[in-house]
Amino acid sequence: MGERVVILGVGLHPFGRHPEKSVGDLSRVAALAALKDAGVEFKDIQAGFCGHVVQGVGTGLRTFAEVGMTGIPITNVELACASSSRAAMLAADSIHGGLYDLAMVIGVEKMERGLLSGVGGAEGGYQSRMGIALMPALYAMMAQRHMHLYGTKHEHFAQVSVKSHRNGALNPNAQYQKALTLEDVLNSRMIADPITLYECSPTTDGASAVILASEKRARQYTNEPVFMDAWAGGTPQYRRGEPDEIEGPNELVAQQAYEQAGIGPDDVDVAQVHDAFSPGEVFLVEELGFCPKGEGGPFVWEGNTAIDGRIPINTDGGLLSRGHPIGATGGAMITELTLQLRGQAGPRQVPNAKTALMHNAGIGGVNVIAFKR
Amino acid sequence: MGTETSAERKQVPLKGARLRLGDSPALLGSRCPDCGEHFYPPRYVCLNCYREGLEEVPLSTRGELWTYTIARMALPGSLVTAPYVIAQVRLPEGVSVATVLSEVEPEAVRIGMPLELVVEKASTDSEGNDVMTFKFRPAPDGSSKDPS
Repeated sequence: MGERVVILGVGLHPFGRHPEKSVGDLSRVAALAALKDAGVEFKDIQAGFCGHVVQGVGTGLRTFAEVGMTGIPITNVELACASSSRAAMLAADSIHGGLYDLAMVIGVEKMERGLLSGVGGAEGGYQSRMGIALMPALYAMMAQRHMHLYGTKHEHFAQVSVKSHRNGALNPNAQYQKALTLEDVLNSRMIADPITLYECSPTTDGASAVILASEKRARQYTNEPVFMDAWAGGTPQYRRGEPDEIEGPNELVAQQAYEQAGIGPDDVDVAQVHDAFSPGEVFLVEELGFCPKGEGGPFVWEGNTAIDGRIPINTDGGLLSRGHPIGATGGAMITELTLQLRGQAGPRQVPNAKTALMHNAGIGGVNVIAFKR
Repeated sequence: MGTETSAERKQVPLKGARLRLGDSPALLGSRCPDCGEHFYPPRYVCLNCYREGLEEVPLSTRGELWTYTIARMALPGSLVTAPYVIAQVRLPEGVSVATVLSEVEPEAVRIGMPLELVVEKASTDSEGNDVMTFKFRPAPDGSSKDPS
């Protein structure tokens, strides 16, 4: 048995459009908030991990230097939209293995407006030229397949966005804080059938910070620790004759995390899932075991994932409404679940939440983390 | 732009797309000599048995629509105009190919419909050559045709 890992502090720079702020500005606000939340001084942090995707060489060094230069090792971590949750997993690995007692993760991204390109890698390649490498289209094709196999309706997907925006309206750190009706979502501009504009996560500027500690060290600061209890990561597996898993082996990685945490889907009180596009939540309620295969559409439609539902999901608005600054998203997911388990989520609070699950995916890379208090 | 005449004009495949032009166009994929697995785009190491050095083979020109979407916008720099249909086509070899559909009303597209390869001009390069790309279009029902 290694050291148990505690999420000791969390912090965000509000998500949104911040053209006047630098990557350093965004990171500093999140990092200082997390240090204050933890009650820790930066000089006590022993290692830094920075999740970002396109902020350039040395981003980790520059962002950590905003709050201090103490000579600690700093590592940049890139796993597309799942970068900062993977950074937190690497920090947790090192604490669990006894290497450090206190580590800090910064996730940050400043993004251009418009569609995310470059799915085919830096070479771009013929797929970009042919118009195939379009992110919403990849989700749309999975959605069409789901509709074909299980009779899922566009309204089911759209309802995810309605619920997400309702939650976002309760979150002062969300990019969109305005509720939308089902008609608003369905009537917004079609992007790639069945996905409309309001079913796409926006591009966002923002930062997140998470401070992780060994249980022993954490007990010096808190009597009610939130544990990062189990974590598992994976990437697509080639299986003969089966099409690629576009967003990775969600089901398998979730099973590993459940097993390590000694829990099952029924034990989860609140969850964060990767809703880069509205169908994501429908797929994931099935893949994470919250409902049977093929029933994700009606499950979401009936309100089971609302804050007052059976398994509240994306209580902070999720990627769709809180926003999706890709390198910062994992840290924001951890932030929301930590607040939920502490009972500090205000109007978004899920009563008496004790166990939480995070799912964050990036072009095939999958991270699942279980938290307990 | 240099002068161009139809006599000098050649057809070249879109860069990166392994495509045989001419009288019997086909996608050129990889086949593993050990386990028989096929891949597109081509690759060097077999994902099924890890053999290095796969052979280049023409793939079946007919397949079945696995899934699709109607893209209502195109990324800057792409050679398509919206709306257009993006599709995954399953070939008899077990290969899944990402492509664009041609010669079909978007509303008429159905999962499972038979499709066949078609080669179309995508653009003109700086030397005046026709840059050719592949798409798939609806095919009459029937069994998949053998390659070559």
